[in-house]
Amino acid sequence: MSQPAIEIDRLVKRYDDFTAVNGVSLRVETGEFFGFLGPNGAGKTTTINAIVGLARANSGSIRVFGHDTQLEWREARRLIGLAPQEYNFDRYLSIRDVLIFQAGYFGLRGRAVKDRADMLLERFGLASKANQEYMKLSGGMKRRLTLARALIHQPKLLILDEPTAGVDVELRLELWHLLRELNGDGLTIFLTTHYLEEAEELCKTIAIIRGGKIVTQQSTESLIADGARLQDVFLELTRA
Amino acid sequence: MIATFNSIALWTLVKREMIRSLKIINQVIWPPVISTLLYVFVFGLALGSRIQNVQGVSYAQFLIPGLIMLQTIDSSYGECSSSIFQGRFMNSIQEMLIAPMSALEMVLGYVLGSLGRAVLIALLITGLGALLVHTWPQNWLLYFVVLCMVSMLFSSLGLIFGLMAEKFDHLAVLTTFVITPLTFVGGVFTAASMLPPLLQRLELVNPIFYTIDAFRRSYTGQGFLPLWQSLGMIAVLMILSLAISFRMMASGYKLRT
Repeated sequence: MSQPAIEIDRLVKRYDDFTAVNGVSLRVETGEFFGFLGPNGAGKTTTINAIVGLARANSGSIRVFGHDTQLEWREARRLIGLAPQEYNFDRYLSIRDVLIFQAGYFGLRGRAVKDRADMLLERFGLASKANQEYMKLSGGMKRRLTLARALIHQPKLLILDEPTAGVDVELRLELWHLLRELNGDGLTIFLTTHYLEEAEELCKTIAIIRGGKIVTQQSTESLIADGARLQDVFLELTRA
Repeated sequence: MIATFNSIALWTLVKREMIRSLKIINQVIWPPVISTLLYVFVFGLALGSRIQNVQGVSYAQFLIPGLIMLQTIDSSYGECSSSIFQGRFMNSIQEMLIAPMSALEMVLGYVLGSLGRAVLIALLITGLGALLVHTWPQNWLLYFVVLCMVSMLFSSLGLIFGLMAEKFDHLAVLTTFVITPLTFVGGVFTAASMLPPLLQRLELVNPIFYTIDAFRRSYTGQGFLPLWQSLGMIAVLMILSLAISFRMMASGYKLRT
């Protein structure tokens, strides 16, 4: 059996007196499309930040494809692509350079990186905007650029924090199609979203977090067995 | 196989900092050059004609190395402090924080990027000095050694304040209340030998005095202090400032929660 893409063991993260994540344990299999759901403030983004190194755990451990994110952080980070909820592009770079410089931070350069940047810009419909600054892009284009940037270093795990927040129906369907394709190519995807139909449509496994604790982790199929709606299951599990 | 030192990331950051400087060239490159030009005309050529030779050169020629230091200090601090603060403010620094990039690579990337801008400005002012008042360094090695050390000292100081600042306004506190006053009384416009004994002794507690005294020696071959003393002081301050900025970056101070 292959190594899990993410293995979180009793993760705790506190901010002063507030415990944002309280003993979370998770296992995401390689190649899986995993949904991580929860109400606002439940601990989703804190968990993601701990995985990618933006937050430091108070206790517990995280492994990404077997690499401890504290001890083998270079190896672990090399395997992760993050598409954050907020746009955080470098305002001084062109769209194409956003990708090329991101690859540089991951230790990659040369012709292959430039070719991959061009390929991603083409695939995400941004080729005609390659030399523009990101601020001139529409919301939907910025969202696609976020994805392209997360993929420039060919990660094995893609973490998506609300990738379709604020986008119109057409773009959402387009992004779903892209994400399915990427997952079909073998990429493990870890998705947080407030759109339950999105999780239902895309994810094979779903974990729900409430108050910093995992309240369930099971296959989407079993979660909505017997004709239950994901929305009802979610509300039942997350109601205080 | 992941390298233990991500040199590509380091040079990517240096390049990014240089691109940033060139994108805002009217804000960060031309102003120091223009203001130097004005200093030379007003203080050097107009008022300076009434002052006798200083350290064996005309007052206008005496001014040039001090003005280079003034702009080196200002641009090094400004580049690093504003770049890292802006990265924090816009969250764009997360591009590096999630990458396999160490604190050392990040500190060096910012500091060397800032050094690139300082060297560019210094060379432009050096060119102006050669053109307008016919002065240029007699000792290029000393010129670059002091330039690099001073730039690294103040850019790492910029990193420290860029990490600590909560708003843009905070970045100006150090320049307004400490750096600018100390630079102006630190020997840009006067030689220590022109001052009364009490002020000469006070200069010794002004760290910027050491930077200007050492740098001017690369032009005039003369200094108030022995060279080893000036270079030693700059080196100690540079190492201290770099160590603090590295420690803050490694601990994720205001970068990682």
